[in-house]
Amino acid sequence: MLIHVMRFTRAAAALACSFPAFAATVSVDVIGADGKPLAGAVVLVDTPRKPAGAMKPGGPYEMAQQNIAFVPHVLIVPVGATVSFPNRDKVRHHVYSFSKARKFDLKLYGKEETRSVVFDKPGVVALGCNIHDAMNGSIIVVETPYAVQSDAKGHATITDVPVGGATIRVWHPSIRAPDNMLSQSATVTATGYTTTYTIRGR
Amino acid sequence: MTVRALPRWRFRHLRTRLAVQYGVLFAASLLVVAIVGQLVIWGQARDAVRAELRTSGSVYDRIWAMRAHALMDSASVLTRDFGFRSAVASGDRPTIESALASLRTRADVPQAFFVDLQGQVFGTGSGDVRRAIASVPTTLARGRTEAVIATRTGAFRLIVAPVLAPNEIGWVTFALPLDRAEMAALQHLSAIPLAATILTRDAKGSWHGVSSDVAGSRALDAFVATAIGGRSEPAFLALRDGDALALAKPLLGPAGKPSAVLLLSYPWAAAMAAYRTMEVGIALAGVMGLLLVLLGSRRLANGIARPIAALDAAARALEEGTRTELLVESDDEVGRLAQSFNRMSAGIVEREHRITHLAFHDTLTSLPNRTYFCQQLESELQRSLKRGQRTTLLCLDLDGFKGINDSLGHPIGDALLRQMGDILSRIASDAVVARLGGDEFAIILADHDDVDRPRALAQAILDEMRSPLLVDGHQIATGASIGIAISPNDGADSDALLKNADLALYRAKQDGRGVFRFFEPALDAAARKRRALELDLREAIQSGQFRLNFQPIFDLKRDRIGGFEALLRWEHPTRGNVPPIEFISVAEETGLIIAIGDWVMQEACRQATAWPAHVRVAVNVSPLQFRNSGFPSVIFQALSHSGLSPDRLEIEITESVFLDGETTVVTLLHKLRAMGVRIALDDFGTGYSSLSYLRSFPFDKIKIDKSFVDAVAEDRSAAAIVRAIVDLATALHMETTAEGVEDRDQLSELRGQGCSSIQGYLFSRPIEGNMVAAMIGSAMSAAA
Repeated sequence: MLIHVMRFTRAAAALACSFPAFAATVSVDVIGADGKPLAGAVVLVDTPRKPAGAMKPGGPYEMAQQNIAFVPHVLIVPVGATVSFPNRDKVRHHVYSFSKARKFDLKLYGKEETRSVVFDKPGVVALGCNIHDAMNGSIIVVETPYAVQSDAKGHATITDVPVGGATIRVWHPSIRAPDNMLSQSATVTATGYTTTYTIRGR
Repeated sequence: MTVRALPRWRFRHLRTRLAVQYGVLFAASLLVVAIVGQLVIWGQARDAVRAELRTSGSVYDRIWAMRAHALMDSASVLTRDFGFRSAVASGDRPTIESALASLRTRADVPQAFFVDLQGQVFGTGSGDVRRAIASVPTTLARGRTEAVIATRTGAFRLIVAPVLAPNEIGWVTFALPLDRAEMAALQHLSAIPLAATILTRDAKGSWHGVSSDVAGSRALDAFVATAIGGRSEPAFLALRDGDALALAKPLLGPAGKPSAVLLLSYPWAAAMAAYRTMEVGIALAGVMGLLLVLLGSRRLANGIARPIAALDAAARALEEGTRTELLVESDDEVGRLAQSFNRMSAGIVEREHRITHLAFHDTLTSLPNRTYFCQQLESELQRSLKRGQRTTLLCLDLDGFKGINDSLGHPIGDALLRQMGDILSRIASDAVVARLGGDEFAIILADHDDVDRPRALAQAILDEMRSPLLVDGHQIATGASIGIAISPNDGADSDALLKNADLALYRAKQDGRGVFRFFEPALDAAARKRRALELDLREAIQSGQFRLNFQPIFDLKRDRIGGFEALLRWEHPTRGNVPPIEFISVAEETGLIIAIGDWVMQEACRQATAWPAHVRVAVNVSPLQFRNSGFPSVIFQALSHSGLSPDRLEIEITESVFLDGETTVVTLLHKLRAMGVRIALDDFGTGYSSLSYLRSFPFDKIKIDKSFVDAVAEDRSAAAIVRAIVDLATALHMETTAEGVEDRDQLSELRGQGCSSIQGYLFSRPIEGNMVAAMIGSAMSAAA
């Protein structure tokens, strides 16, 4: 399966807000293969300089199983976060991950049972249920505080990104690349950074 | 340059023509049926094969899909396996490969692989395939789980099943060779023996069969291109083994383009082979039908033609003279024609018989006629000549038949002839009796052991005739004369025999009638003599050998020459002076007497004009001459040419002229009298003299025959007869002339009896014409 980044556009930074001179806003529009704005895509901005405060695990983080589905579908957690997997269905689930970032296997557990997993490596953890093939979800374990999901309009806005070189990554299950992730180097200026990802499938 | 007519079918027989025409007609219609049938069969075969190909195509599609489904199911058992996914996730190659090996066995596929996201290939299989499939999962269009690839080792069908964890982390891939076995399995599915072949494209882009049973060709390329173009319909395709109906199904590669083609083909010959039985059946039915039609039309034609052929044969036979009665078999036109033909031919035969009878028989007596008689005589003579036998011919003539006919009328004469025929037929029942004409009959008597038979037959006939015959109430006493000639002595051919029999008859008549005479050579000699005389007579007429002498008739009343009787003299160059007694009879028989008599009449009148006016000329007229219808005009011409006064011409006739019938003779005499010509009755007292003649016509003169005159001086009875004649004549106001007066006693006796005139040697012999004038002169002087 192929994913192409067809266009990479550099635009003028937005001057709508006044921030300290070293911080800027990164604005990304994600457009799906069907040409429509893609909601639910995760946009990450990796900066060389990491704000210490942002890297605390925090929590609590929850990836519940409800109506034979993972809720939320995509969960962004910092490295070291503990995510609980409460089963809110009447049926049992067997949540697993074969992802390199975190392999785990929560054997059959019933209603109102909660298991917890600590995600200590950055990366994308694809979740599945060994009973219910249709169930899938993702936990994005990030090292950066600049990570958001695109809204219904496919728009993702990340504020307070330090000016300077950065790597902007976009993740979405439909992206057929290792870890379903595309990455792109960028230089964030004081005026911010605006770009559009258009995902082309088959 | 010769122009040759185009050859045309001609039939000698109607039935052949009918049979051939029907046969050709039916054969033509059969041919049309056969062509239409062949077209229908062809179309049927094509449609059937097309339908089968289509069905096989869709069956194959289904099988193809089912196979894919089954394989997907088999694969998904592995791809869903938690352990396998775990092994894949951890890159555990030995585990993966052992799992694949187990899957191969379980799913019964020759080659199974796993391809991970990086394109790494796990599992055992040929390098070709391994290389080919590495990129397949990532290039396979979304939603497709299979593709066909062409490698150097052949075409393979790939089934691609993703391994989800839950996202795709790799693909289990089956590679199924599309080889001979696979094709055989496919062929097995079809109801008809289809040939299934995989076509792949070579480097140049042209298509050819993987298993080299289908060679590449331009036609094949075009065919495949059409199929790839979306119109995958069964159509004709020329293959190495001949024409076939084929259907190409493009097999899609990973990128969605056809990388191979499944070619389903069915040899046209095989398609048509299924109809071979039907074709043979139609052909057999056609041949049998044709035979039936030929037989039937022959039968029909026979039915129509046989009566016509019979008519034809009968007409031919009739043409050749034989008649056959046709069998009338039907009431139709032909039957009616046959009936008409029968009636017609019967009529023809009947008429022919009648005509033949008429031609060969005498209508009066129903006896064979002269023609038939001659044929009979000829054939009888030939037959007898061959056998060395004799044939006797009797010629018979009624005596005095003419008189009977004249006196009693022709109906009686005819009845007499009929009766005569009956008598002859009865008496000569062993012979052929014919009527030659008139009162002439002939009898052909075949050879007889009895040599006396001819004589006996002739005598029997004469005996029968001796008693009078009763004909229509009339007692007729008649006789017959018979002449007999016997072949071969009396003549070897029919003409000679008939002539000689005639001569014998002639002799019989001469010998007093009522007798029979056999032919003798002397008769023939006499006949020859007569013939010679006849020829000389003709010559004499032509060359003027005749002359007239005149004997004076002395008028006793006036004592002077009252006239001269003209007498014919013939001075022949070699014969010398031929006496009239010798040639007159021949002249009468041959009819030359007419011409001679004419000459005599002319010449006598001519010479008489030079004589004194009181001197008459007397001319003898033969009965034959007198009977001739032109006689009055002969007299008239002689008188007018010469200018002689009619009263100076005296014609002398004998009583025999009255034999032809008194009335007509008297009428003629009156006619002559009216012209002014004098008429004397000559030779009175001899023959059948009858006083009734004297009553019926007032002759000017009666000439007393010399036989009375000879004895008039010595015999009293003779003198009495002469006196009676003279007295009778005087009473009837007729003159008399005594003939043959030779002496003075006779003269004085005659003068004493009152005879008007005399003629004889006493006075003068006949003298030459140039002496007449001198005699008249001297006589006048003597008298004076």
